[in-house]
Amino acid sequence: MTVYNIYIFDKAGTLLYYEEWNRLKQSGMTRGRGGKTNSFVSKISPTDTKEGFLCYKTSKYTLHFLETPSGLKFVINTDVHSQGVRELLQQIYNQVYVEYVVKNPLCNLSQPIQSELFKSNLDSYIKQSPIFLSKAL
Amino acid sequence: MSRSTTRFDTKKVNSELVTLTYGALVAQIIKDLENTDDVSKQLERLGYNMGIRLIEDFLAKTGTGRCLDLKDTADKIQTAFRMYLGVQPNVANWSAAGDEFSFVLDSNPLTDLVELPEDLKGLKYCNIICGVIRGALEMVQLDVQSWIVQDQLKRGSKH
Amino acid sequence: MVIYGIYIVSKSGGLIFNYDNNVPKIETEKKFSYPLDIKLQVENKKIVVEFGQRDGIHVGHVLYAVNGVPVTGTQMDDGQNALEYLEHKENYPATLKFGRPKMTTNEKIFLASMFYPLFAIASQLSPEPKCSGIEVLEADTFRLNCFQTLTEMPIRCELFDSNLKSILEQIEKSGIANI
Repeated sequence: MTVYNIYIFDKAGTLLYYEEWNRLKQSGMTRGRGGKTNSFVSKISPTDTKEGFLCYKTSKYTLHFLETPSGLKFVINTDVHSQGVRELLQQIYNQVYVEYVVKNPLCNLSQPIQSELFKSNLDSYIKQSPIFLSKAL
Repeated sequence: MSRSTTRFDTKKVNSELVTLTYGALVAQIIKDLENTDDVSKQLERLGYNMGIRLIEDFLAKTGTGRCLDLKDTADKIQTAFRMYLGVQPNVANWSAAGDEFSFVLDSNPLTDLVELPEDLKGLKYCNIICGVIRGALEMVQLDVQSWIVQDQLKRGSKH
Repeated sequence: MVIYGIYIVSKSGGLIFNYDNNVPKIETEKKFSYPLDIKLQVENKKIVVEFGQRDGIHVGHVLYAVNGVPVTGTQMDDGQNALEYLEHKENYPATLKFGRPKMTTNEKIFLASMFYPLFAIASQLSPEPKCSGIEVLEADTFRLNCFQTLTEMPIRCELFDSNLKSILEQIEKSGIANI
């Protein structure tokens, strides 16, 4: 199992943070697509949605999506076998983003995250999670 | 200030420290600005800036979803009061259309040690709370107005 | 397993086939008194519940009828504007019927063309080379399975269970006309 990369977007779709691990091919998005996918999902859904779009799977990776009621979007790409990634995203929001960005009065919430404290905490949080297990090792 | 009140575990912070810090803050703004209306406005703005951050903390800790009606909103703000100020406000005075209501705070830790002098009677001492509510709800796409209906160590009430 | 519907999208992103299999009908009728405690808004020429969900009437539902008179767009069938009608106190109590919006064919074509870029971007965003497009898309209320044929004609279908891929392959073999 492995984690490839993480994106954080604000409610306007601006990229606030990006980090990658174990990547083989370079590619990335600079604007959020989650909102678009979510509006697609809520329209095509047969019944009323609550959280809407959760994840999609391709042959090589799975993209997991979490949107908070305040419009922040967390996107993480893992391999196709990873389990419990949504919980991991929720924890990243609860225990890393809120603690080290929101509660840091000097961090501007609508600007890309520069904080080293956030960066190092996120990195160790991901690396501690059972989902993170580098293929390279 | 924002740090001390945003802690979920309020036991860690002495409530008198919060009251005194807030008092000192208000006193300083009064010194800086002549007009009491400007002071009230400044407090509201201060609260607004706290609110837009506090909401993330609230969402993270309660894991709550989007509000779908105002009763739901009132409920959640009530929870927030309990979490951050340690008081339980009553929700009252619902308007017929269900788009307006009041919170009634029986006790308010911000005003525990406060008495307003004659010349500051116009000051909305707790206007910061209105700001917090407005800021927090704005971040979840709810545009609200919030004001103090009754105040001054008799009773604070707002929507 | 419940299959909600099948969509077939051509190579260029156009919807070429669609079949609604089992779409639940969600409708609620309720009596309201003045003032209306549900906030309505015009969205895409429909009257939509924006805030104030209750009793099975959910945010995003569309106003279908007022006192039994059907509402098309913002107009009631007797020619009145439904929103204006609901502003007047003398028109209450009023019985309003709300429901989850049904997709029109136009909207389905629009959605199909919306899915196409999502599918393509998913393949481009891959952290590893030689990646397919979206195979499964999960939401809290349904699961969408997508199978792309070798002729690069993606056929996709939404359902709860992931086993449709094999069914779709059978459909492929026996020909589209048999669905």
